[in-house]
Amino acid sequence: MESSRDNSVGGGNGSVGFEESLRMIARLPAPEGLEERVIAGVRAGSGRRARILEFPAALRPGSNWMRSAAAAAIVFVVAGGGWGVYSRVQKLQAAKVITMPVRVAAPGGFSNAGAMRTPNTLNGPVVPIPVAVKPVQTGAGVPAVKKANRKVGTAMVGKSAVQPVAAK
Amino acid sequence: MDGDSKQRCGRASPHRKCPLRAEEETLAALVSEYAGTLYRVSFSVLRNAADAEDAVQEAFLRVLKHRDTLDEVRDRRVWLIRIVWNIVLDRKRRAKTRPETDDVAELARVLPAEGLSAEDRAAAAQHHAQVLACVETLPAKEREVLMLSAFEELSSVEIAQVLGITESSVRSRLFRARNLMAGLLGRVRQ
Repeated sequence: MESSRDNSVGGGNGSVGFEESLRMIARLPAPEGLEERVIAGVRAGSGRRARILEFPAALRPGSNWMRSAAAAAIVFVVAGGGWGVYSRVQKLQAAKVITMPVRVAAPGGFSNAGAMRTPNTLNGPVVPIPVAVKPVQTGAGVPAVKKANRKVGTAMVGKSAVQPVAAK
Repeated sequence: MDGDSKQRCGRASPHRKCPLRAEEETLAALVSEYAGTLYRVSFSVLRNAADAEDAVQEAFLRVLKHRDTLDEVRDRRVWLIRIVWNIVLDRKRRAKTRPETDDVAELARVLPAEGLSAEDRAAAAQHHAQVLACVETLPAKEREVLMLSAFEELSSVEIAQVLGITESSVRSRLFRARNLMAGLLGRVRQ
């Protein structure tokens, strides 16, 4: 400890004015009554920190009824809490979820810009047309008359429509 | 306090010394011996009398907290300075930057001014505040060594112990700090 007390800032060759300022501050006398104030403060501080609160004698945790009451209170609180949670929880309804088709990233790093793929339209079912079964008739007279009537009918209609006066 | 300690040592036999009372006596002895030194160290950093006193008080509270290890301490003075040094650096870090006008007013109040007129006193306080403002601009390592070196009661070995560095580091930092201060003050004067 006695080795070197040559640390004084003014001891070097380049002694300048700033060292005197620092030394003056370092030599400042302590204010009067500092020791008393510090001792009082330390005692107050230590006393304040070390204080232990006295537990009320009537509520000492050693007594049996106190223990039972505490246990009952704990049970009540736990059971009440559990019931409260149970009564508030609602049953889950079946979720109606429509699953969206999974988007598959296009190869090559290009996206499909959100376009949805739709399946090709399928050809509708072909309903066969019911064929009416014609009754088979024997004899040649009737069809021939019908054909003749049809031809005449059409000719008559055409004439009457175009030249009704000339027919008279 | 006497009543307090009597209350706490109520069951101790009258022939044996109460350990609490012994602790308090040790603490009182430490306070009366080192409170002045610790106050000066605190004031050199905080530059406020009330803050410095608070720091000293906190240092002794820490001593009381670690009273079990008090016997293991070799050099109590350096140990105490180290404690208060850490406290004041911590407080300084947390506190906002003080305006220079506060420093000037505080220095004018506390610095000795025998045989000085009011004007000279104000000018001296202004000069000291300017010096301290330059000290504040130094790098932390150099600043700490420079401030501790101003205490004539601290050797370079003790400064090294307080800062937890080697003595050669103290010397090199002090050298750098002096050069930097000379440059800074030269610039200010120009």
